[in-house]
Amino acid sequence: MTAPALVLEGLAVRFGDAPGLRSISLAVSPGERLVLLGASGAGKTTLLRAVAGLAPIETGRITIRGRDVTALPAEQRDAVYLHQTPLLFPHLSVFENVAFPLRIRGLAEPSLRAKVAELLESLRLDDLAGRRPHTLSGGQKHRAALARAMAARPAVLLLDEPLTALDPSLRDEVRTTLLSLQAHYRPALVIVTHDLEDAAVLGDRIGILLGGTLSQVDSAERLFRRPASLAVARFLGIPNIVIGSIEAGQFRSALGTIPLQSDLSDGPAAAAFDSGALRPDSCGTLRGVLRGVQHGPRGATLRVDVAGLELEAAAPVGCMPRVGEELSLALETARVTVLPRAGDV
Amino acid sequence: MSGRRISRRVILAALALSALTPLGLLMVASVGSDWFFPSLWPGSVTMESWQDAFRGGGRMAGALGTSLVLAVATGVASAAVGWPIGRAIADLRGWPRHVGAAAAFLPVAAPPVALATGLHLSALTVGVAGTLAGVLLSHLVPATGYAALYFLGVFTLFDRRIEDEARTLGARSRTVLWRVTMPMLRRQLGEAFLLGFLVSWAQVATTLVIGGGQVRTLPLEVFSYLQAGQDRYAAAGALLLVIPALLMLGAVRFAVERAEATPL
Repeated sequence: MTAPALVLEGLAVRFGDAPGLRSISLAVSPGERLVLLGASGAGKTTLLRAVAGLAPIETGRITIRGRDVTALPAEQRDAVYLHQTPLLFPHLSVFENVAFPLRIRGLAEPSLRAKVAELLESLRLDDLAGRRPHTLSGGQKHRAALARAMAARPAVLLLDEPLTALDPSLRDEVRTTLLSLQAHYRPALVIVTHDLEDAAVLGDRIGILLGGTLSQVDSAERLFRRPASLAVARFLGIPNIVIGSIEAGQFRSALGTIPLQSDLSDGPAAAAFDSGALRPDSCGTLRGVLRGVQHGPRGATLRVDVAGLELEAAAPVGCMPRVGEELSLALETARVTVLPRAGDV
Repeated sequence: MSGRRISRRVILAALALSALTPLGLLMVASVGSDWFFPSLWPGSVTMESWQDAFRGGGRMAGALGTSLVLAVATGVASAAVGWPIGRAIADLRGWPRHVGAAAAFLPVAAPPVALATGLHLSALTVGVAGTLAGVLLSHLVPATGYAALYFLGVFTLFDRRIEDEARTLGARSRTVLWRVTMPMLRRQLGEAFLLGFLVSWAQVATTLVIGGGQVRTLPLEVFSYLQAGQDRYAAAGALLLVIPALLMLGAVRFAVERAEATPL
């Protein structure tokens, strides 16, 4: 089995005088893409900077390619950090920017030229080699910054909000470039973002940073289907959260009873499910009234009133019901996650 | 032609005239002999003052050389010292930053005579009074203050993240300084050098007090000529004071623009 490219063990990082991040532990394999998702101010950038050696840590251990780098300076960590905006060296041409990591490693000129040429060609930058950064478009700058990062052949590439503040066409360009480069050079990628869609598209796994800790690390599918806590469910924007309680192995709420799939002790609880788990079905046992239809980029969803609860349900295929119409609905209990409530609702 | 354009040209012409007329008068005064009121033009012309300025061993030529050595050394040293001081102050937050900025401003704000008097005591203590090194150190005090304040502004606006990124690409701190920060800020470095050069070039009080008459710079010679009523020499000296400063200004601008236009 391949050793992880990056391992964080019990990392604690302060934000100035604030408590900051604590007990951050995770491992990222070579070639894996881990997206760290969190609200603004959650400490995502601070965590990346700490891994890169640009911010001090309080406690914990950082291992890159099996080497403890906790006490090493940034230049010896084998982790390249890319800021949200591409920060190319303005006094150097595109060629020299990409050549920078190779020159400081003392690579012989013919070998350096060959490597830079290969990178520039793979990123369609070969015609721009002699240009200065200020003459490049936004997409070209991003590609050049990625080429320069890859020239260093890092074990870990740390990307801080790489797609934020880009227009849709540029997002696609940068995303495609990033994924193709990563597939070719296979660094472990750690990306921070606050955008759920970016996280779902870019990440093999997604880590949720909430309240200074890593609340859950999972695949996008598992994360949305099985959030580890109510806080995670809320953060992910799971539309339906129904308050109830656990009694004798069943979740009871205004929607009725749902048998539990895991062992949870009796007490207050909540059920979280996305709109796909609730759909109009003539055989369904739940009765609701359609309050509205929401149209989005991925189709329509229904806003229904069920037993006094306003829920989001999947729209039926074919004929769309009218607002105010009574509907029969079926809840796919396998897609419902029941979570204990520790006084946080 | 619009009225606005005409008035702009008139203003520009007036500015050019106000800058060039004194230089023209100085030029005439530097070569004029037997020039008394109310004559509009000197009675005769002589190149005596200019010959002294460019003759090896001439009084003015010696002073010009000393001034150049001092100004270049002050420009280089003040930029080199002002850079880390300005950066360190820029890194501070809250009241320490204000204290740092005030400390850098002090030698700039102090009246030159007061500064010279204070420095004289130090120069005597260290044993450099009356020497070129002592005068250089005395010029460095206000010049470093200017340079530190200049770099405080530069580093307040400088985006350090580019240095961070260079470090994660594998560059050590020294490499970042030489290959990233200094090339990026070469225009500012050139301007800081020029600032130090000009501060030293115009120093009179500190040179007079610390040099104690042993170190003769061009401004001191111009004063001497004026006091002695040797207007022709004073005019030539005054022109010499202006010309190298303008040449240096042009040279620094040219070097910076050329460097910025040349792909590396």
